[in-house]
Amino acid sequence: MIEALLQTLLNGAASGGVYALVALGYTLVFSVLGVINFAQGALFSVGGYLTFLLMGGKIGVNGALPGWGLPEGLPFWLALLLAAAGSGLIGLLVERLAFAPLRRRNAEPLLALITSLGAGVVLVNLLQLLMGAEGYAFPQSTDALAGLPDVLVLGGARIRTIQLLLLLISAAAVLVLSLWLDRSKGGRALRAVAEDATTAQLLGIHSEAMVRLAFFLSGGLAGLGGGLIGVSVSLPGPYFGIGYGLKGLAVLVLGGLGSVPGAIAGGLLMGLAEALVPSSASGWRDALAFAILFGVLLLRPSGLLGRRTVEKV
Amino acid sequence: MIDNGLLVQMLLGALLGLSVYLPLAAGQLSLATPAFYAVGGTLAALLSTRWSALGATASGGFPVPSLLLELVLGGLLAGLLALLVGRLVLRLQGIYLAIATIALVEIVRVAILNLPFTGGAVGIFAIPQPFATAAGYLLPALALLALAGWVCQRLEGMPLGRAMAAIRDDELAARCMGIDTTGAKLTAFVLSAVLAGSTGALAAHFLNTWNARQGSFDASITTLAFVILGGSRTWLGPVVGGLLLTALPELLRPVGDVRLVLFGLVILLGPVLAPQGLITPGLLERLGRWGEGGKP
Repeated sequence: MIEALLQTLLNGAASGGVYALVALGYTLVFSVLGVINFAQGALFSVGGYLTFLLMGGKIGVNGALPGWGLPEGLPFWLALLLAAAGSGLIGLLVERLAFAPLRRRNAEPLLALITSLGAGVVLVNLLQLLMGAEGYAFPQSTDALAGLPDVLVLGGARIRTIQLLLLLISAAAVLVLSLWLDRSKGGRALRAVAEDATTAQLLGIHSEAMVRLAFFLSGGLAGLGGGLIGVSVSLPGPYFGIGYGLKGLAVLVLGGLGSVPGAIAGGLLMGLAEALVPSSASGWRDALAFAILFGVLLLRPSGLLGRRTVEKV
Repeated sequence: MIDNGLLVQMLLGALLGLSVYLPLAAGQLSLATPAFYAVGGTLAALLSTRWSALGATASGGFPVPSLLLELVLGGLLAGLLALLVGRLVLRLQGIYLAIATIALVEIVRVAILNLPFTGGAVGIFAIPQPFATAAGYLLPALALLALAGWVCQRLEGMPLGRAMAAIRDDELAARCMGIDTTGAKLTAFVLSAVLAGSTGALAAHFLNTWNARQGSFDASITTLAFVILGGSRTWLGPVVGGLLLTALPELLRPVGDVRLVLFGLVILLGPVLAPQGLITPGLLERLGRWGEGGKP
């Protein structure tokens, strides 16, 4: 009983950590530009597939280059890191193509929803061309990943190591990012741009560079999430990131748009709530995030930890 | 290349474009259209397969008056849902409203997937056909589009339409002028839902099967793209956008697997190249002048 509960809570916290990663990715871009990057879900997929390829996975029969793959797989840690960096670079590309042209013209922010989603559609379908629509499974054993035992015994309860790993890695990523935003010069500059881009520019901060940095980090977080989910579950197809992208959106609003602690708390809350849905009602699990979101939006439109803004005439 | 089936799909696309346009004309970015479309379609699919009084025959035939009744009922149910939901969500603004409506779409999708009577992932199939060929659907789809276009055109001269335009330009100023902003926004939202619900009812018969995939997040963005690429300043914009963008993936079919990449590129580059959309009030004015004999 205790064992089952512990495993459930750990599963919830692990997926909550991934939701927090995705939501933080949205938050970074939202805080500097005030827009949502709808390509985030696609970058999540990209991260999953990159991790798979870097670890030595081979392209399946329906892909563009069947059987192709790296001759030697990289260790799990390195692959995950490189995949996150790769997704970050593709995030930069999305910024160049979908956001920068609109910003230069001072176009309606609404248009960026469309262009970023267009970028997401392109990415996901390129993935499908390259890798085929089939699912891919990683080597499930944690042993192969990091030389760890598959199952850990913790306080008498047996838990899957990979879930613990998932939670620890996302917690570490979130912690490093928060500290960096809070303490470092670069982080402060980013927050200054988020507060007021024009004033930041006058103070000698290169706003454009900060925007690019935000996109790189945001894409990296999505890619990291994709890699982690891929390793712990599987890659069911190029579209799998879209669902996580949507959940991340719910988490984003739950915590409050633009709030870093809100995104973390929202992610954990969402993951735990989903894990506690009994398996007899598992079909409804996907709606839970949005039902919670709906309730929060109606009771507290600025989110749990968001700031209330007052419109001035 | 364009057969009757694709023409019907294009008309349905234009109708959904108009459904997204209506709240947007009042400055409200609602992505809820696929939810209402799904509700209308599910109702029609359930009624025509379960309720024998509508006159479905064993050979799959279906009387046209029953189809019209379903269009009305689908629209009404969707409108009722919009009335309930709208009162709550329309308090939200901008991106919050957009996300809340995405949430509604997802909740409706999961509900249709899991409710005991909607057929699960397979959905409801063998929906009876009122017409023997796809061509039969052209007339009701065109009639529905004409009606919706007429309503949108009429709105521009009516107090409601003017209130919607005022809210779009500046909601706070409109409220200060004494405009009932809540009422106008809610009316636009309900009209949009009724249109999407009726369109769904027609689409359910046309498509022959109906399942939860009909109303998904993808559809939210595709229908929004109809409006953004077509132009959101006049009602003709979403109609043109819906017709073109529904046809595009089919027309691109010869290029094979690359077509969805190209479709994504169109959505990505369209707003950059034409931020106002294809059809703008300025363009219509120029066309009007040209139609009068090219006088300046």
